[in-house]
Amino acid sequence: MKTIGITTTVPIEVLLAAGYRVIDLNNLFITSEEYGKYIEIAEKDGFPKSSCAWIKGIYGAVLENEITEVIGVIEGDCSNTKALIEVLRQNGIKVYPFSYPHSHNLRDVKKAIKDFMSLFGVYETQVELIRKRLNKIRKIAKRIDELTYMEGKVNGFENHLYQVSLSDFNGNIDEFEEMLLKKLHEIEKRSPVMRKIRLGYIGVPPMTGNLYEFVEKFDSHIIYNEVQREFAFPRAENAKDIYEQYYDYTYPYDIGFRLEKIKEEIKKRKIDGIIHYTQAFCYRAIEDIIIKKELDVPVLNIEGDKLNQLDARTKFRIEAFLDMLSDLKGC
Amino acid sequence: MRILGIDLGSREVKVVLMEDEKIIKMFKVSTMSFYRDYCNFDGKIVVDLQKLNIKNIDIAISTGYGRNNTDLRRFEPINEIKAHVYGAIYQSGLKDFILLDVGGQDVKIVKVEKGIISDLELNDKCAASCGRYLENMANILEVSLDELFKYYKDPVELNSTCAVFSESELIGKIAEGVNLESLCSSVNFSLYRRLKPLLTRFKGRKLVLSGGVARNNALIKYLSADYDEVISLNYPQFNGAIGCCYYGRIRSNKK
Ligand code: SF4
Repeated sequence: MKTIGITTTVPIEVLLAAGYRVIDLNNLFITSEEYGKYIEIAEKDGFPKSSCAWIKGIYGAVLENEITEVIGVIEGDCSNTKALIEVLRQNGIKVYPFSYPHSHNLRDVKKAIKDFMSLFGVYETQVELIRKRLNKIRKIAKRIDELTYMEGKVNGFENHLYQVSLSDFNGNIDEFEEMLLKKLHEIEKRSPVMRKIRLGYIGVPPMTGNLYEFVEKFDSHIIYNEVQREFAFPRAENAKDIYEQYYDYTYPYDIGFRLEKIKEEIKKRKIDGIIHYTQAFCYRAIEDIIIKKELDVPVLNIEGDKLNQLDARTKFRIEAFLDMLSDLKGC
Repeated sequence: MRILGIDLGSREVKVVLMEDEKIIKMFKVSTMSFYRDYCNFDGKIVVDLQKLNIKNIDIAISTGYGRNNTDLRRFEPINEIKAHVYGAIYQSGLKDFILLDVGGQDVKIVKVEKGIISDLELNDKCAASCGRYLENMANILEVSLDELFKYYKDPVELNSTCAVFSESELIGKIAEGVNLESLCSSVNFSLYRRLKPLLTRFKGRKLVLSGGVARNNALIKYLSADYDEVISLNYPQFNGAIGCCYYGRIRSNKK
């Protein structure tokens, strides 16, 4: 089976229909013990200090794992990706484009996906079959998410992990489904742990995975992982076809649509405060201005760079933030 | 509802009594006399409220810098930064601001958004940018702090980044015949210059001053160039103790 790498969530149904094994390069990078080395490879090859660690990590991961084909998202993701795929192409890697049209209207999304399908020579019927198959797995992930915020049976990191994994289904949908189901059964038997402060996490998935564990020390619980959850397409069931499904996806379009969904979840999940993670050198840090204005719960912006652990200063800030949130909430 | 707030400083202990959200009493005693004359020890420190002439307390909250945050019996201790933030919220009525607190021995800068701390920086390792520095310099110049704080024009360069070296540098300037006003300005300006790098991360519109600096007009002048508004709290020295009371109120409201 041919393997293809993706730089962010793309209509994976198309790639699976085309017979590919799909690997999310972000996951490949961040779960590797060599994650630091991947960044270094990129810097040695000339990536500037001032570009984000995800881009460099992906680059290193592609080269080190001998990935030969990559989907590059040229619209709807950051412009760094555009340059990244150009460099990859120069390295002899085959890159295919995909776009999430900024206009965010159904007609344009449809066209983009149709182009994508013809690029890989697959038909809508094939794609829909796969979509139905994946929706079954998406449903399990959704259930895990519900068990997080409704019943307190899943901790923040697990929730993050199982949602984010749906960007590539860990490279094998059958195995993944089996694993997820097993996990679900195990989770359902757990006794609930309810913590005092209900936190939401928004922004790109963190470089610093220990964030989840860290907040739990202060009787807090991350019960919403915004982008990770979007990767899992929790509303896929309501979409009548693949076009609608990817149209109803918040991450690559304008921030207004993203915020709408975030607000719904804050209300539904009774969230007390938000941690907004941004990556050093990422344009999304600017969006923090809008996010803070728009959301009426307290928002803490934290920034990650190359380290996969929270630094002392960030820990200190999180602690102070949670301490005061806790006062507001009473005992 | 009567709430007592006590801020255990290194030299003075500040006491504030709040009743129904209003401050009804406020005074300080020297730290020495507080422990000697108003406290007993019985496994834990017990504050003798009768001697302090305070009665009928519903809640008591204490705060203090570092090791001074001693466990007082029947008091709930809270972190000092938080106490200062609550004090500033109560006194300024603001929810979004940057708080600069220059105390005798430390500097705190806190960013507050929607009434909650979102960023902070502490400098408790170097004496060069805190109140003690100004006191020493005022002593050398033989002026009072209030006098020192008046002057901001024509500062000459005091380059030293260290409080101790600055003293000899200042004496050098006196010897060169620089006039007193200028010398005072120079001291204030040197403090501003040292605070500035700490403040770069904390850009914003409103800066609230508490602690000794709130009285420093020269510093306020300099800072005014960096912020739209520089607000000095009315009771800068009592801010921590006021914050304790305010915290007590939040707690009791939520119960
Ligand atoms: S973190 Fe920001 S800069 Fe980095 S790849 Fe993602 S969107 Fe681009």
